[in-house]
Amino acid sequence: MSTRNGPCAAAFIGAAALFVSGCGSLSADEVQSVAASFAGAEDDPAARCQMLTANVVEALVQDAGASCEIAIQDLPVGSGDVTSVEVWGEEAQARLTDDTVFLTRTAQGWRITAAACRPQGADLPYACRLEGA
Amino acid sequence: MSDVRRVLRENSLSLGFGALFLLTLVGQAFAGVADLNDQRVSDGLDPISLGRFLTSSSFAVDVMENWQSEYLQFFLYVFATVWLVQRGSAESKKLEEIGPESDEKQRVGAHAKRDSPPSVQAGGWRTAVFSRSLGLLMGTLFLLTWASSSVAGWAAFNSNQLGSHEDPVTWLGYVGHADFWNRTLQNWQSEMLAVGSMAIFSVYLRQRGSPESKPVGASHAVTGQTG
Repeated sequence: MSTRNGPCAAAFIGAAALFVSGCGSLSADEVQSVAASFAGAEDDPAARCQMLTANVVEALVQDAGASCEIAIQDLPVGSGDVTSVEVWGEEAQARLTDDTVFLTRTAQGWRITAAACRPQGADLPYACRLEGA
Repeated sequence: MSDVRRVLRENSLSLGFGALFLLTLVGQAFAGVADLNDQRVSDGLDPISLGRFLTSSSFAVDVMENWQSEYLQFFLYVFATVWLVQRGSAESKKLEEIGPESDEKQRVGAHAKRDSPPSVQAGGWRTAVFSRSLGLLMGTLFLLTWASSSVAGWAAFNSNQLGSHEDPVTWLGYVGHADFWNRTLQNWQSEMLAVGSMAIFSVYLRQRGSPESKPVGASHAVTGQTG
């Protein structure tokens, strides 16, 4: 698995580039762990729902007209291994063998902001079946 | 007058602006974190702490993109005013002095004085470097802060990319991106405007007692005088 951490931008003059690989390996480990847990909870929709941000749960429930635990089972959320992680500030992306998920840092730790995502081409956002409004 | 008061008085320009710099930087930090948290809350995200904001790419790029343009302004001004003049401006040298000027006027080589800096008395490469040290330092600081601006801007851009569920880009990709050049050029143009305005305004306007102005009674045609 490859990881990529955004620069710890406290780096000002000169030393900025040193921080590209230096800061945030802890964050990358946390993101990798949350993404792996999310992917691995294929048979535990309640656990997956707990890893979503509040606005994602709200959008899912509103769209499906059902509880999060029921609605999330109908979505093609990946369950494969995490192949790479990118962390930039408060945002992160984890690529799975069968999905791409996006995360954000919250007071409770990293939470999923989008999953079941498919690329739509360069310079275009992913099309995600599970994301906030 | 006590020694402390004398030191404060004799260094009041650098100390005053140093203090103003720190105060405004602190103000920027508080305003910046409040602005960012307004945005995050409206996006349904948790606010971040001041400490986290101060180490964020968002704060770094806002600081760096301004620093780089200020150092560019002074680097260009220091170098350009060797060769470019403005008739009647307090910011310009005399019209007949265009260029690096004679050793005699610059007090270098055989014309060095007893109180000239050691690098001038040493001659050779040390004098050559010292003769350009102000511009070289400004140019170096510009390049370093511009590079830092590109790294901080890259991080802030990629954070926004991920927040919008888009792929992050490489540093080279960011340096070729419109976001980088928009941030850079919007700062550069304001610096060029400020320098050009000052050069012209000081032909016709005065500020009594300021070394940035000609003496109040000086003719509009007089060039290179400061009061």
